[in-house]
Amino acid sequence: MKPKRCMHKRLLNIVFLTGIAFILFARAEIAGAKIYIDIYSPSTRKLPIAIAPFKNLGSTPDKENIASQINGIITQDLELSGLFQVIDPKSFIENPRAAGITSDKINWSDWSTVGAEALVKGGFSLDAKSLTMEGRLYDVVQGKFIAGKRYFGKVDDLRLMVHKLVNEIIYQLTGEKSIFETRIAFVSTASGTKEIYLMDVDGESRQRITSHRSICLSPAWSPDGRKLVFTSYKKGNPDLYFKDIFYGNEKVISQERGLNISPAFSPDGKKIALTLSVEDGNSELFLIDLNGNKLERLTTNWGSDVSPTFSPDGAKIAFVSDRAGSPQVYALTIEDKSVKRLTFEGNYNATPEWSPRGDKIAFSRMTGNKFDIYTMDPDGSNIQSLTTLGSNEDPSWSPNGRYLIFSSNREGSKKLYIMLANGSNQRRITSGKGEDTNPVWSPMTGEK
Amino acid sequence: MKKRWIHLMVVLAALAFVAACVCQPQVVKPTEAAKPVPPAEKIVQEEVVAAPKPAEVKETEVKEEAKVEEVSPLEDIFFAFDDYSLTDTAKATLEKNAAWMKNNPNTKVRIEGNCDERGANEYNMALGERRANSGKKYLSKLGVKEEQLATVSYGEEKPFDPGHSEEAWAKNRRDHFVIAK
Repeated sequence: MKPKRCMHKRLLNIVFLTGIAFILFARAEIAGAKIYIDIYSPSTRKLPIAIAPFKNLGSTPDKENIASQINGIITQDLELSGLFQVIDPKSFIENPRAAGITSDKINWSDWSTVGAEALVKGGFSLDAKSLTMEGRLYDVVQGKFIAGKRYFGKVDDLRLMVHKLVNEIIYQLTGEKSIFETRIAFVSTASGTKEIYLMDVDGESRQRITSHRSICLSPAWSPDGRKLVFTSYKKGNPDLYFKDIFYGNEKVISQERGLNISPAFSPDGKKIALTLSVEDGNSELFLIDLNGNKLERLTTNWGSDVSPTFSPDGAKIAFVSDRAGSPQVYALTIEDKSVKRLTFEGNYNATPEWSPRGDKIAFSRMTGNKFDIYTMDPDGSNIQSLTTLGSNEDPSWSPNGRYLIFSSNREGSKKLYIMLANGSNQRRITSGKGEDTNPVWSPMTGEK
Repeated sequence: MKKRWIHLMVVLAALAFVAACVCQPQVVKPTEAAKPVPPAEKIVQEEVVAAPKPAEVKETEVKEEAKVEEVSPLEDIFFAFDDYSLTDTAKATLEKNAAWMKNNPNTKVRIEGNCDERGANEYNMALGERRANSGKKYLSKLGVKEEQLATVSYGEEKPFDPGHSEEAWAKNRRDHFVIAK
């Protein structure tokens, strides 16, 4: 009889503990924390959202058509985010003239009928060169106000204001800060030679920041977003340049004989990993300080070692080496210099980029004569293919690890595209003359 | 044992209570008849000050250089894909180049290593560096003085033939020899 009694007791224990666990889990639901968009889910359903025309709340007439600019930027940003299905304004029922922007003046069925679950309303007023813009976010299903913000500043900063509003909308619906105030540095031949450019995430405010009239390559952001390092042949050799973005001053910080290439800032901003040449023309990884002084040699191997990328905790570096015969991605632990091979499929894997979330490494694989972009877990497992059309290279993560920007020739010349980290919602960002390559996404800027 | 059964009853009762709460529909249909007064809708203010724009780039004046490659008495050597070893043809060419260089010991020569456009740019710069050094090492072995030779890699950045065919690519996988001024 003894064994049976023991089992009975064990079963009751299990039921008891399971019950406690279930209660604790369910508490979150009762507390009412509504998750509008679960961005952790592998296949997120797009949230249907309506953006009502913003009203001119002031007395100055809207000659520049600010209303339509605001609406256009919000729509474009929300579509680029890949999280929303923006309802076609042509289907709106509500009379924009009569309707107000506060919830007591909203007829919820006007919006639920057109399929909206969330609603953005707002207004603005102009005064000489100043602009005040107010945006309000509503839950159509529950018929309630979620959050609102009022921005004031210069009319010239309209795009920034709207991007901030979009970031706020996305924060309220996902719990996570979005990327619409960040910037992209990249290389373009638009001016005739490879120079470094900056632009907004939507491709606007494009600005060339170098005039080397030579070959500029491989820009990398400092973690504070104020500096770039890059390689340039301006003096006849691939040297490493350090540039203050806002003041514009540049200086060469590494001009060793041979290569000074593929730089990457450490997450603490104090060191730069790069490739330098050693005896016999071999390429090895080194750590240098911000003045170019060598701190440590990281690799000692007959193979070519290039393209370092730091893990977000700064302890490891993923890089490319052909030490096994062809270019593959490896991970180096800085403390003991131990190296682990990560890629075993395909015979050409390159351009690794460690996600700022730490959960993935993006890279490109050449199959036949073209490249495609993949992600893998930091141990090399769980390889996902993200692209198919054209040749796709140079992936770079957004600072929140949710998006990748990359270079693709799928429409002819090389242009920059953005996609979600799972490969969906691929959209072209750049257009115009020249080939655009080497995009790198800035760190997060701005307040929440 | 009795105590355990009591615990179980308590847990089951709690589960039933939780289930009742969780299963309640989240959607609250607003009634048309009596619209409740909305609680004060909090609008957070924020002053927007744009970060200063990056400095305008200072244009460098550039003299238009002739695009034509200077004719040099030194011939290119070519490589197989993703390779930096010297073929027999390459060695023969290097022997000819070495003879000229030894006859002109005061002329400095720059060996430029290049790759075709396939492959990753950064890896190709390392490959170009290997190719340039491969040529330099062999020339040294043939008696050309080290001081006469310099190397630079251009990776895939300066292709001789901008085409996208096997023929074009073969012409770009090369060491190019330039009389350094």
